[in-house]
Amino acid sequence: MKRRRFFFCAGIVALTTLGTALMADLLWRDGLTGIELAMLFLFPILFGHIAAGFCTAMAGLWVTARGGDSRRITASLAPGEEPRLASTAIVIPVFNEEARSVFERVRVLFRSLEEKGGLPSFDFFILSDSNQPDRWIEEEVAWAELGKEIGGFGHVFYRRRRQAINRKAGNVADFLRRWGKNYRYMVVLDADSVMTGDALVTLVTLMEKNPRAGIIQTAPRLVYGETLYARLQAFSNRLHSALFLAGANYWEQGEGNYWGHNAIIRVRPFMEHCALPPVPGSARSILSHDFVEAALIAKAGWEVWLAYDLEGSYEESPPTLIDSAKRDLRWCDGNLQHTWLLTARGFRDANRFHLLMGIMAYISSPLWLFFLILGMIDAFYKAALDGAGVLRVAGKLSVFGHPFSELALFVFTLLLLFLPKLIDTALALGRRGEAARYGGRGRLLASSLLEAAGSVLLAPVNMLFNTKFVLINAVGRRGSWTTQQRRAGGDGTDLRTAVAAHGVQTAIGLAWAAASFVLVPTYFWWLTPVLAGPVFSIPLSILLSKTSVGRGARERGIFLTPEEIRPPPELAELERDLAAVRNGPPAAATPPDHGFIQTLTDPYTNAIHVALLRRRHPAPAARAWLEGLERRLLQDGPGSLTPREKNALLLDPDSVLHLHRQLWRRPGGAVPLLP
Amino acid sequence: MKATVETTDFPAARSAEAWYAAQDRVQGYLIAHRVADWRQRFEFTRRILEGAAERQKADPGLDPTEAAMDETQRVMADWFARVMNCPRDPDDRLAIEGRMALFLCDGPRNWPGSFLAEGPVPVDFERAMRTPALPSGPDLNLSSMVMRPIDLGPITEAAGETLKRIDRWPFLRLAMVTLILVGTLAVIF
Repeated sequence: MKRRRFFFCAGIVALTTLGTALMADLLWRDGLTGIELAMLFLFPILFGHIAAGFCTAMAGLWVTARGGDSRRITASLAPGEEPRLASTAIVIPVFNEEARSVFERVRVLFRSLEEKGGLPSFDFFILSDSNQPDRWIEEEVAWAELGKEIGGFGHVFYRRRRQAINRKAGNVADFLRRWGKNYRYMVVLDADSVMTGDALVTLVTLMEKNPRAGIIQTAPRLVYGETLYARLQAFSNRLHSALFLAGANYWEQGEGNYWGHNAIIRVRPFMEHCALPPVPGSARSILSHDFVEAALIAKAGWEVWLAYDLEGSYEESPPTLIDSAKRDLRWCDGNLQHTWLLTARGFRDANRFHLLMGIMAYISSPLWLFFLILGMIDAFYKAALDGAGVLRVAGKLSVFGHPFSELALFVFTLLLLFLPKLIDTALALGRRGEAARYGGRGRLLASSLLEAAGSVLLAPVNMLFNTKFVLINAVGRRGSWTTQQRRAGGDGTDLRTAVAAHGVQTAIGLAWAAASFVLVPTYFWWLTPVLAGPVFSIPLSILLSKTSVGRGARERGIFLTPEEIRPPPELAELERDLAAVRNGPPAAATPPDHGFIQTLTDPYTNAIHVALLRRRHPAPAARAWLEGLERRLLQDGPGSLTPREKNALLLDPDSVLHLHRQLWRRPGGAVPLLP
Repeated sequence: MKATVETTDFPAARSAEAWYAAQDRVQGYLIAHRVADWRQRFEFTRRILEGAAERQKADPGLDPTEAAMDETQRVMADWFARVMNCPRDPDDRLAIEGRMALFLCDGPRNWPGSFLAEGPVPVDFERAMRTPALPSGPDLNLSSMVMRPIDLGPITEAAGETLKRIDRWPFLRLAMVTLILVGTLAVIF
């Protein structure tokens, strides 16, 4: 492993040194100004970040070209080896998710495990922190319906916490405190995760065969992209992640990372070492808990592996650019918290590197923006000094006014950014039958070009988003815990939302473009790839969010993935089920408080709900308050109660039973509350 | 369906409309229990309204809908107690267990005519109703997961303490960020 790490780090250092030397050569020709010094300080930090990605991809290419990495976790299984199973909990934390979609996934996974013969070793736990009464009731009904349909009671369990302490990490910890001792392993899934029974059985077998493995993370493929944005992300993930993942495994080995879901965890060491303290310097919980949990379990001597070549692990991507940005706001907050842990005693160097890369994913945006601003100011200064503009191409083969360094640096940077993508595309085109998995050579090539163009346009938009998020974080404002949008609503982002999200970006892009066009016209043309994204961010965001455009792209064979062309049975089945869910009544048409009302009026929903509640005996004051709420509900309807008051009523079995009885026996034409 | 009301001897103190409303309510409650067979609903409603009429005679202040639904709950509770072989309880828990069992075995659909029937019910229906169900979680096996503080190293610890203090004065935090930005701009220009 040391040799691998040496080559990997040496590659980063060598590339960064070369890039910095070219940059320094460019800057100090006319003597270094304060601005140029600042640029020279920032450059190695930013270039090192790019070089790390490039070296990871090249390491992946190296092992792929040699027929695959012999030191990968999946290599510990002999072909056709009998599976070894052990008690495993499949844990799915949910927070105000679309219940039917979540439980459809459970159903598909349950069936898949049943076919594989592994079901007796697995239990499912849907762990809810939902605080919207309607979502909570939908989950309960969906669970009861599913249990009835598949005979899953005793294997599929549902629990909703009364207090959602410490968000997802707290939810999982709560499960472990209650039932962790019953299981040797747990597989954590997100609400949009799918795994095949095959993949689950293989993961358990891998854990059994590798007793030092604490966590095995799979590499989920992005699936079910409906909008153009989601399709682009899915294609990019499918085509371009292979080398990066193989490269990550090359240098990580048993010191990999945990991404919070689609991973198997050895329960005992996780419970012993991964209970998270609050963030240093505050009482806030650690938001991006996964990286820290990986670091803690590795610190305790356990291995964390990336099963990058294990098939059968999937998830969905946010449907729109704006939804992706909302997710980034949360992730930014979480990753920046990791700054505190970079120098924690006992952490492995690889884990520090993971934490650093997570931080850099967000910090690099304001740094890049700052660097570009400095570059522009420098160009303006020089243009003002020589009166003709430093960026002229003055009758000789030169770029940025000099014959070699600038061109070399430019090409060098482009290579680092795009060579891995070129190699991925070339490999897919060259391998027999591989291009057909993406719809054929022509479609693959067209999709690759469009993906590259899309990433060029989106990178500066994301840079501006992330810069904003880092600044928001720096002044102490926090993103709230919201439900992630999994599917596109309607036909994408409307103009008003797009203007609200991208208006400032457009203004920045236009002002920047105008200033550079007027002051240093040649610089303007070099800046166009950076400025095009922000300037056109509003129409771009709307276009990418459209399901109709995504569907059109699919019909034309653009951004096709192997999972679309030949989906595994689990994905095909789930797609059919989810289509039925999507073709049902849209969420907007569902009357408000439908779940709440259903609990009080429908005898079966009422029974399911009460059966799941723990019997409590509230203090007299609390009982009096609840009775007051009951009276208000019966008199003025559910609109007179706040969500908190509705939740309080729903948490009290006596109130739920009493209201059911009262609503049905109240004189009048129709049952009160029923439409 | 109006025949139910018309063929029953109702106390004259209440209007026929009130009894029609009561009848509709009982019908609605049966439909909510997925009793699809109208003949069964008719028969059950007739029984309920007869019982409700008796109740109303005993307590004339009771609205027919209230009397009918009280009677419905009583008849259902008796049926659940008999079929599930459980004693009746005062706080509706049996009704919950009964409705759950009914839901899980799809009683009204799979054994039409048997739900709330006065005679014996089919053996398999009885067995299904008596099957304990709906475990929301396996038996608890409590254990501890103790939070351990992370040793952050001296620099981070000191920074944490400083930030803790700064957090008490958000203005100071904003001022620091502004100072850094202004300082950077000053260096540039």
